[in-house]
Amino acid sequence: MRTIALYSNKGGVGKTAAAVNLSYLSALAGAKTLICDLDPQSSATYYFRVKPKLKSGAKGFLKGGKSVYKSIKGTDYENLDLLPADFSYRRLDIAFNQLKRPKNRLQKILKPFKAEYDVVILDCPASISVLAENVLNTVDCTLVPLIPTTLSVRTYLQLLTFCKKNKIDTSRIYTFYSMVDRRKKLHLSLMEKVSRKLSHVLKSDIPYLSMIERMGVYRQPTVAFSPGSTASKAYQRLWQNLQETIFIK
Amino acid sequence: MMPNIVKFNLAGDDDERQISRQLAARHTIKKEAAVAGRLTIYDTFDWRLFHKSLVLFASQDRLMLRKLGQDRMIYSHHIKPTPCFIWDFPEGDFKRYLEPVIKMRRLLKCADLVFRATPYRILNQDEKTVARLFFETVRLPGRKDSRTITTQLWVKPVKGYPKYSRKIKNQLEGLGLTSSGDEDIFFQAIRETNQDPGSYSTKLNIKLHPDMRSAEATKIILRFLFHIIKMNAAKIEQDLDTEFLHDYRVALRRTRSALVWNKNIFSKETIARFKKNLSYIGKISNTLRDLDVYLLNQATYKAMLPPVLRDDIDPLFAYLKKQRSTSFRKVVRSMTSKKYRKIMQDWETFLNEPQENLGAESDAEHSVFDLARKRIYKQYKNVVKAGNRILGNSDDEMLHNLRIQCKKLRYLIQFFSNLFPSKKINILVGQLKKLQDRLGDYNDLSVQVKYLYVVAEKLPSNSSQMKKTLVAIGSLIDKLDTKRQSEKESFAQTFTRFSSSQNQMLFRELFELQSETVVS
Repeated sequence: MRTIALYSNKGGVGKTAAAVNLSYLSALAGAKTLICDLDPQSSATYYFRVKPKLKSGAKGFLKGGKSVYKSIKGTDYENLDLLPADFSYRRLDIAFNQLKRPKNRLQKILKPFKAEYDVVILDCPASISVLAENVLNTVDCTLVPLIPTTLSVRTYLQLLTFCKKNKIDTSRIYTFYSMVDRRKKLHLSLMEKVSRKLSHVLKSDIPYLSMIERMGVYRQPTVAFSPGSTASKAYQRLWQNLQETIFIK
Repeated sequence: MMPNIVKFNLAGDDDERQISRQLAARHTIKKEAAVAGRLTIYDTFDWRLFHKSLVLFASQDRLMLRKLGQDRMIYSHHIKPTPCFIWDFPEGDFKRYLEPVIKMRRLLKCADLVFRATPYRILNQDEKTVARLFFETVRLPGRKDSRTITTQLWVKPVKGYPKYSRKIKNQLEGLGLTSSGDEDIFFQAIRETNQDPGSYSTKLNIKLHPDMRSAEATKIILRFLFHIIKMNAAKIEQDLDTEFLHDYRVALRRTRSALVWNKNIFSKETIARFKKNLSYIGKISNTLRDLDVYLLNQATYKAMLPPVLRDDIDPLFAYLKKQRSTSFRKVVRSMTSKKYRKIMQDWETFLNEPQENLGAESDAEHSVFDLARKRIYKQYKNVVKAGNRILGNSDDEMLHNLRIQCKKLRYLIQFFSNLFPSKKINILVGQLKKLQDRLGDYNDLSVQVKYLYVVAEKLPSNSSQMKKTLVAIGSLIDKLDTKRQSEKESFAQTFTRFSSSQNQMLFRELFELQSETVVS
C-alpha cells in the first residue's frame, strides 16, 4: 500500500482539487484507492456527493478499526472509495493531544487498510499541528501544493523549519506549483527562483483554470467530467510525474 | 470486504427493458453505454490454475486473476498481448503470484467467450451512485445466434449503501426473478467447450483391488501410463512448452519399470522385446530433454555468476538454443518414423490382448496385494543396503546406483499406492522424495559440470567475445562443482533420516510379509 498526503499549512492552495483528481487517476489505472478526507470543511466528501458523516465522529476515527472501516463509502467510480470527513474533525487536534502517544496514531489507523487498498490518499486540513506531524511521519510521500507567491513560499519554508525542529524526515516531502498563472511575471520569476533553491520540486504544475473550480458545480473530479481539458491533462502529468520521480526510483 | 454481488437469471434479452422500467418507477435509474467484448480463459495443459482454484482471463487489454466462485479480482493489469509464459509477464506482484503456480508451463486458451453488458446506476437524491446493475449476456463466439451461456442481471452494491441494493434485490424477487446458483461461469464455459477441468494429471491414481490378478493389475497400470504417453506425444510436435516431453518421458520410464516390476508375470520373450523397444523410444529424446533443462536453467545459471560475467555467458545459451532446434527436429522425425509407429502399435496391441498362459510357476494369477508388498519391501531393503554402503565410502557410481534403486522404489509405491492407507504412504513418499531430490540434484550437477566442459571445447574460440564466454563457463563450472560437493556432504544426513527406525517400522508394517527380517 502506498500512502500519499496532500498537505499544506496554508489554505486555498488546491490540496483538495489535487487529492480528488489524483485519487481518481489512481483508481482509473486499476489501483484499489481510498481517499481519506481529514478536513472538517469536507470539500472532498462534497465533490464525491457523499454525506460528511463518520459513524462515531473524530473519537471513533482515532480509535481506528471497525468503526472507521464501516464509515467507508464507495464513490461513483470503480476502485475508488472514500472515508468521509466529519464536522467533529475541527476538534481532531485536541483529541490527538489527549492520546498517550499522539504522534504515530495515524499509522495505526491506516494499517487495516493495507489488505484492501493499493493506494491511500489523504486530504489534510491547513494547519501545523499534531495531526500534521502524524501525517508527515506516516505517509510515503507528502505533496505540498505551492502557489508561486511570496506568502505561499514563505509558509512552505516555515513547514520545512518546523520539520527540522521536530526531527521529521523531509526527504519524503515534495512540492508542485499550483494555481499557476503564466501570464503573471511574479509567478514565473518565483517559480524559477524556487526551483533553483529547493529540491523535491515536481516538474509538472497545475495551472489556475476555471475547469478546476467547476468541480463544485459538477460534483465530480475534473478528470472525470472533462478528461480532455487542459486541467485534466495537467493532473495526468502530475500523476505520471509522481509515479516516475517518487515511486519508480 | 466488499458486499456480495447478487445475480439473477434472466429468460432472454427482452427482460432488460421491462425490468429497468419497473425499477425506474421506484428509483432514479441511469443507463450507461453498453460494453461488449471478448473474454478468453487461460490455463496450462495440466490445469495448474484450476487446481489452485484460480481463474485467469483476458478481456479488453486487461489480464485478470480471481478465485473460482469469487467476483473480486486478485489482479487486474493492462497486459497485452496475453503472455504465453511466466517470463513474458512484466515484473511485479502479478508475476510473483503466478510464478510458483504455472512455473514453466505455457498458458493455453481453454475457452473463448463473447459478452455484452449494459450497466445501470441507481442514484440517491444527491445523484450519487448507490447501487449498480449489469444486464449481461455471455455467448460462445460465432454468429449472432450462437449459443448463449448465460443471461444474467447483477446487482452490485456500493460500499456504504447496503440499503439500496437490498431494496432492489427484494423488488426483483417480487418480480419473480430467481437468483442464479453459485456455479462459476468458468465451469459453464468449460462444459460448453466439452472439456473436463482437472482431467489431465500425471499423478498415478490407479484404482486396483487387492484380490486382483497381478497380470490384470499390471496391464491397468501400463494402460494408464500409455494414455499419458499418447496425450503428450500428440503435443510434443507443436513445441508448446517443455513439459509435454517431460511428462511423456516420465510415463515412458514408469512404463519400463512397471513392465518388469515382477519378472514372472509376462513371458521372458515379451519382456525382452518391449524392454529393448521402449528403451529405444526413450533414448530418442535424451538430448532434447537435456537441452531443455539447460535452457530452463538459464536465469539460475546467470544468477550464480559474478555480475561482471553475466552477459558473457549469453553466447553459450545461443549455442544451446541452436542445438535444441536441431535436436527437436530430429525427435519429431523419429517420432513419425515407421519404426516408432510400429513399436507403439505393437505395444498397444499387447496392452489390449488377453493374458498369455505362462504355466503354473508364473505369478500372473497371484493376487497383486501380496506380490506388491513383497516386491516393495525387497526394493526398500535394496535401497537401505545401497545407502549404507555409501555412508562408509561414496563414489559417484554408488550414488548413481542408489538413485536408480530409489527411483524403482518410488515407482513401485506409486503404482500400488491405492492398495495402502494413503496417510502412511504419503509419509514414506515424502521421505523418499527428499532423498531422491538430494540424489537427483547431485546427479544433475555432475552431468552439467561434465557437459559444460565438453561444450566449452565445441564453441569456436577465436573471437575475444568467445574467450570471455569461456571464462564465464569456467566460473559456472566452478560454482556448480562447489554446489555438487555440498550436496554430497549433506547426503549422509538425508539418508540417515530416510533409513530411521521410524520409517523402517512403517515400511515393515505396510509391506512386510511374515517370515521376513529387516536389514539394518
